[in-house]
Amino acid sequence: MLILPVNIHTQIAAHGAASYPHEGCGLLLGAAEDGRNVVTAACPLPNVWPVVSEKPERFRIDPNDWRDVELEAISEGLDVIGIFHSHPDHPPVASPRDLAWASWPGYSYLITQVIAGEPGMSRSWQLAADRSGFNEEAVEIV
Amino acid sequence: MATIRIPTPLRPYSGGQSSVVVSGTNVGDALLDLTRQHPQLQSHLFEGEALRSFVNVYLNKEDIRGLQGSNTTLKPDDTLMIIPSIAGGRS
Repeated sequence: MLILPVNIHTQIAAHGAASYPHEGCGLLLGAAEDGRNVVTAACPLPNVWPVVSEKPERFRIDPNDWRDVELEAISEGLDVIGIFHSHPDHPPVASPRDLAWASWPGYSYLITQVIAGEPGMSRSWQLAADRSGFNEEAVEIV
Repeated sequence: MATIRIPTPLRPYSGGQSSVVVSGTNVGDALLDLTRQHPQLQSHLFEGEALRSFVNVYLNKEDIRGLQGSNTTLKPDDTLMIIPSIAGGRS
């Protein structure tokens, strides 16, 4: 389960809208507690996918950006607990590309749909333990 | 002895520890010692004998691929970070 404060969800949705028609992305910070990922901050990051014309359907996070966010999070007593990205004009469902380039089970993959530049619904996913696919997780917006 | 920071989702496989002190005089030996101490980390970090393609290792903020890779020498107060490469997309 992903516990997400409403103001942070608003921030994430706004980043998806601002990134439109490209995919927007970033990291979820907080704590992993008893099987729940509890978000206390979100950090938007550049989509560094190398082919600009493909950014409406691809994203990549620079590992150097992730490193810097993680060091800052450590100093604030937070952990990186997930990744967020937007799907422009496409349902917020984890795709084969998301699966192919996923990392470890346990991170939340929050996906926000953006339709014609307006943010829509968000759904969250976790990689299966055997890496065979994504399972949807409940999102509690608080 | 150097310290390796453990990514959040891998802590169930490191006894809940966010960092692990390891022996070894280079990065490769340090990672080997990490998986000796916590064998369940092996399959999450390695595919066969090689690091998984999405796994990046940083030594004091520098990607080891820009240093000497797994042969990079470690000092006792060094810290290694394990950072994933993440990409994806709607289709």
